[in-house]
Amino acid sequence: MKRPVLFLAGAFLLFPALLLGYRVAVLGYPFFPSVPGETWELQMEATLSRGPSRQGTLWTGLPPTGTGVTVIEEQFFSGPLDFTLYREGSNRVGLWYGAMEETEDARIFYRSVLRLRTPGPLRTPPQRAGPYPARAGREATALAQELVRRWEKLPVPTRLEAVREGARGNWGSPPPSERDRLRWAAVQRDLGTPTSLWLLFRAAGLSVRLAEGLPLAERVHTKAMRFLQVWDGNRWLRYDLESLQQISATAPVLPLARDGARAVQVLDGRLEGLRWTLTKRTPSHWRQHFDRIVRSNLFLDRWSYFHLPAEFQETFRILLLVPIGTLIIGLLRNIAGFPTFGVFMPVLMALAFRSTGLAYGLVIFTGVVALGYFLRRGLDRLRLLLVPRLSVMLTLVIAALGILALVGNRLGLREFMAVGLLPFVILTMVVERFFILVEESGFHAAIRTALGSVAVAVICYGLLHWERLQLAFFLYPELLFAVAGCQVLLGRYTGYRLSELLRFQALRARA
Amino acid sequence: MIWRAARELRAAGVLGMNRRNADYIMARNPRSRFPLVDDKVLTARLAEAHGVPMPAIYRVIERHRDIAGFERGLPGDGAFAVKPARGAGGMGIVLVERWGEEGFVKPNGTLVRREALYHHVSNILSGIYSLAGQPDQAIVQALIRPDDAFESVCWRGVPDIRVVVYRGVPVMAMTRLPTRASDGKANLHGGAIGAGIGIGDGRTRHAVHRSRPVDRHPDTGNPLDGIEVPHWERILLASARAFDLVGLGYLGVDQVLDREKGPVLLELNARPGLAVQIANRAGLWGRLEQVDQAPADIFASPEARVAWARRAFPGGTPAKEGT
Repeated sequence: MKRPVLFLAGAFLLFPALLLGYRVAVLGYPFFPSVPGETWELQMEATLSRGPSRQGTLWTGLPPTGTGVTVIEEQFFSGPLDFTLYREGSNRVGLWYGAMEETEDARIFYRSVLRLRTPGPLRTPPQRAGPYPARAGREATALAQELVRRWEKLPVPTRLEAVREGARGNWGSPPPSERDRLRWAAVQRDLGTPTSLWLLFRAAGLSVRLAEGLPLAERVHTKAMRFLQVWDGNRWLRYDLESLQQISATAPVLPLARDGARAVQVLDGRLEGLRWTLTKRTPSHWRQHFDRIVRSNLFLDRWSYFHLPAEFQETFRILLLVPIGTLIIGLLRNIAGFPTFGVFMPVLMALAFRSTGLAYGLVIFTGVVALGYFLRRGLDRLRLLLVPRLSVMLTLVIAALGILALVGNRLGLREFMAVGLLPFVILTMVVERFFILVEESGFHAAIRTALGSVAVAVICYGLLHWERLQLAFFLYPELLFAVAGCQVLLGRYTGYRLSELLRFQALRARA
Repeated sequence: MIWRAARELRAAGVLGMNRRNADYIMARNPRSRFPLVDDKVLTARLAEAHGVPMPAIYRVIERHRDIAGFERGLPGDGAFAVKPARGAGGMGIVLVERWGEEGFVKPNGTLVRREALYHHVSNILSGIYSLAGQPDQAIVQALIRPDDAFESVCWRGVPDIRVVVYRGVPVMAMTRLPTRASDGKANLHGGAIGAGIGIGDGRTRHAVHRSRPVDRHPDTGNPLDGIEVPHWERILLASARAFDLVGLGYLGVDQVLDREKGPVLLELNARPGLAVQIANRAGLWGRLEQVDQAPADIFASPEARVAWARRAFPGGTPAKEGT
């Protein structure tokens, strides 16, 4: 390798090493920066119009504190209504109420910033078995206790399974008497499935609660998820109310209401346009852990990205990782010999997937490119000139994305609407290149290149989402020089590509 | 496993894409000379000045208003080829055998309506086939009537001969033979056959079809090796002169054998591919190193370079696989 290249790469690698060493050894920065937990922002909006009693009253469950959730900031907007916040059992309640004019609707807004500790809000052990459902009468309670008596002696996890099977009608042998089963069916009809399940699990001495919450994912919810939580002696297990299947414990949920309460109850008036928006607030989460930097007067601390306004921090959190993405593309192309569409296309695809999520992003991309390819084939017969042809393709791609958004709105799929501004360029270019590749090198080569691009995009996506890496570059932006150093070294790699070992196999000089 | 494979390729002197780009194209091919090979009009002017034969250029169409009726008053027998000046990979080329009131007749007998061909030329001018989509010119050139040397191993189309020239020395050569799969085009990606040619003896050997060794042409069934390429010395000399034309140290020279004129230059390529190594079952890197170590006086003239190359890379009996 040439000496100037090695010298430049060495300098690029040495500079961040020295600066990082100084930060760690002298300024006390962490060597492997990490921050436990997550910070989320919850927004709730709705419009309340008055009911027959000329009043409006709305009961809403708010994220509870002290269960792995810390409320850092809380705001509400009540318009003409009064607002009060209080505790009711294990729930935190926001109550909007007041007299309302006929013509005036009250816009309700609530916002809070929440810090979630890992392992999150699901690990708090229950104090005791908790209440019986208030609606269950004495007779129903006695029946439930009678039905589950047979499992009384079983250890908690086994008992839980047995009750669950019983609730689905598999009482085991000998089954309860025909009369008891008929009576239980009547109780179920009377109380409804959720409450009767609550009753049955509680009668077996299990800690159980009927809860509502929001799946903890960046999206807009118009309905809270209702589920049954049962303590198995170790953790809360969640069960779907319809199928009684266990809901994966790895999908975290932000609880809003427990012990049978609903997340939203309209006590008076009519509610419209209810929606919750959950957003992850990564930089402000980091900021809490690096408070020292924010307040420090040291030169390096004052020139930290933590001083940027919050919305720009969000940009740089991602932007600083893009060079690594291009380094990966370089590695895969020049060392592995992966075929990709263009140099930056996979990184741009990975960036576009950020707003839609990987799975939906891939589906949308595949769909639009396939559609675009057939349209492009049709257009080819018309023999349009280059620029107008690309414009037509662009218009068609945007129309496809527009239709997708409308369909997504009808189906309640936020991902179909969240495509953003970036993808249309990428999609149009991919369609054009895909078509040209099919024409010049055949369908197989084009598919191979498309798959190569997707594979690289998926790798880049994983990289851009790696929070510890984001934090490392955010805290130590000098690492960009190290990336540049690696890129320079890669630029002088003149050895074989892995794919060439296969391609030139017949030429190998066997010893 | 991987290291062993890489070591064995290195021992065989095989040139990889990364090294070709970094050590040969970037080091030997100044960017400023690329337009000379990317634009066929410029290449043709230089070829004429240096006495390298090329198919006669009848007309260069630069403006849309010159398109209508361009075929009138062309010299020759009414046969011609239209191609984009900056095209690549044979895209956008239309061959015309004869023309009349009803339109243009291609060599395979299909009729192209007049407006359709005019529209095609208009597309060429708009840059549809040019490398970066910039406006282009259309060349109207004499139609090549291929020599019968390769008739037995060719399915329609025109076979061409690619010579890789390093610092003016022809180092490796192959012929690209159209097949039914390649639709009569001499394009290896498209399914044409590549057959290596010994620099020294000018005979074909070691054919490849879609990266696999073949002995016979899949459509005609005739053997591919041992065909003697006519005018071999002239082909090598023209290739060596091409270096003086454009000053690119690492160059691909594409020629065609015309029935009457003999070898004519088709186009030059500043980034010739590496498949020629598979067709010859030999590494290019080793030969490039040999040229770099050759005595300075062999570079004095095209004749000296060709003479040295024919001695250094004699061809002859190919080494059997596995020995």
